[in-house]
Parts: sequence; structure tokens; C-alpha cells
Amino acid sequence: MAERATNLLENLVITRIFDAPRELVWKAWTDPKLVMQWWGPTGFTSPSCEIDLRVGGRYLFCMRAPDGQEFWSGGEYTEIAAPEKIVAVLFYANKNGKVEPADGNDVEVRDVVTFEEIGSGQTKLTFKRSHWDEGEDTGSNQIFDKLAVFVAELAAKVK
Amino acid sequence: MIKRLSQSPASVHGLTEPFALSQQMISKHIAYLVRARIVKKTKLGRESVVTLRPEAIKAVSDWALDYRRFWEESFDKLDAVLTEMKKKEVKDGRTRDKSFGKSCDHQDL
Repeated sequence: MAERATNLLENLVITRIFDAPRELVWKAWTDPKLVMQWWGPTGFTSPSCEIDLRVGGRYLFCMRAPDGQEFWSGGEYTEIAAPEKIVAVLFYANKNGKVEPADGNDVEVRDVVTFEEIGSGQTKLTFKRSHWDEGEDTGSNQIFDKLAVFVAELAAKVK
Repeated sequence: MIKRLSQSPASVHGLTEPFALSQQMISKHIAYLVRARIVKKTKLGRESVVTLRPEAIKAVSDWALDYRRFWEESFDKLDAVLTEMKKKEVKDGRTRDKSFGKSCDHQDL
């Protein structure tokens, strides 16, 4: 059970083929008004979204659960190659933007999103999330542990 | 570390060994896990023993699956948004074409 979770978290790669041209998918991913229409799982809404699409710029997404609870996600763009690739490093966030993790000992989480033209007007989107500690080679288990902590905190909030 | 603890409880010292990290780093990390109620720490004489809370690992594992579901469901919604965008684009294209005196009424959506 734990093994499966580890694999899922460390190698989270999700691909999806959209029946739409790449420019359109890129737009839906980078235009706040459009992101608000799809960000969050089934039953969630997105009441707010800010995007400053440039290297060093940040994004701040919000999704609202059916019970009204809001979840904020933020990141800083480290690479933007329109309309092919976006790389961002995530940070803990609330409605005011970035917040420092409680113990000041954060693990870096990086998202790489690529948009690939595959013909017939279709686009393959690949979302890859990676976790690593800067500096010491602390091993993947620790990284997973930290993520687990984040999860537990999230779960506690939900309760 | 969670993987190690899933086999059996361990002392802080015992946890330090396989990770090639300072005891200080490990202690900090354990404190983190204790706070998150993923493990519990009990004093046994001079040693502290760290035990994994089974309910925590299940929560983490369930969440890992939710994590993927989160994206899959978001992508389902994104798919719907794109379909709408495409429709709108075709419609706008039509309007533009008509203004140039062309008819696209035969166009199959």
C-alpha cells in the first residue's frame, strides 16, 4: 500500500490527449478566466485565479470544495516556452500568496507541463510533478515523508 | 523512513543508520512526522522508539490515489472548456468569414 503511494507520488506523470489545437490548450492553461472554469476536481469550483506568466512571475489558484472550504495553490514560473512548456516551483500558499512552511524546512516540488502537437488537431498534455530536496541527498523516502506530512495537514484541515 | 517503519518500530538511533544523515536531521524529520500524527514517539528507557500509526499510512495512500484523481478530474473539466472554446472559435470564424462575404453554412461542426 505504502509502496504504491510512494511510486505514485514520486513519479506523478499524467498525460492527456485533448482534441484541440495546442494554442487553445495553452490558452486554457494560462488564461486565469479559463483556468477558473476547470481547476479542481469534480464538484469543486474555482473562485479566484491569478497568473503572472513570465519567468519569476507567480500564479495563485484557488479551488473551493462543495462544503465551502478553499484550497490555495501557488507557484513561481522558472521556465516558459509558449506554447510548448511551462515549469514552475510550487510554494505553500493562502489567499495572500506565498506562505512559509511551518518548520521552515520545505521540500521543493516542481511541475513540468508540456504541450505537444500530435496531429489531427490534437494536443498531448503531459503533467509531471517531481519532489526533491536541495542540497543533501536525503533519499526519496524522506521526500515522500514530507509530502505525507503535507497530506496529513491537509487531511486535518478537511476534518 | 515510512517504508522502514512499516516493517517495525525503530529507535531514533536505528533510524539514523540507514539514511546517511545526521541524527539532528533525522530528529527534526521525526518531529515533523510526530506533529503530523504519522508516527508516534515513546520513551523506552534512554531510547526513543518511533512507531508508525497505521491509520496515517492509509490516509496517505488513499490521498495518493486522490492526487491522481484530482488531476484526472480537472483534466475532464479542461476537456469540456476546450470543447466550448473550439465551438466559439468556429462560430467567431464563421462570423469573420461572413463579413468577407463567404458562407460556411455547409461546414460540419
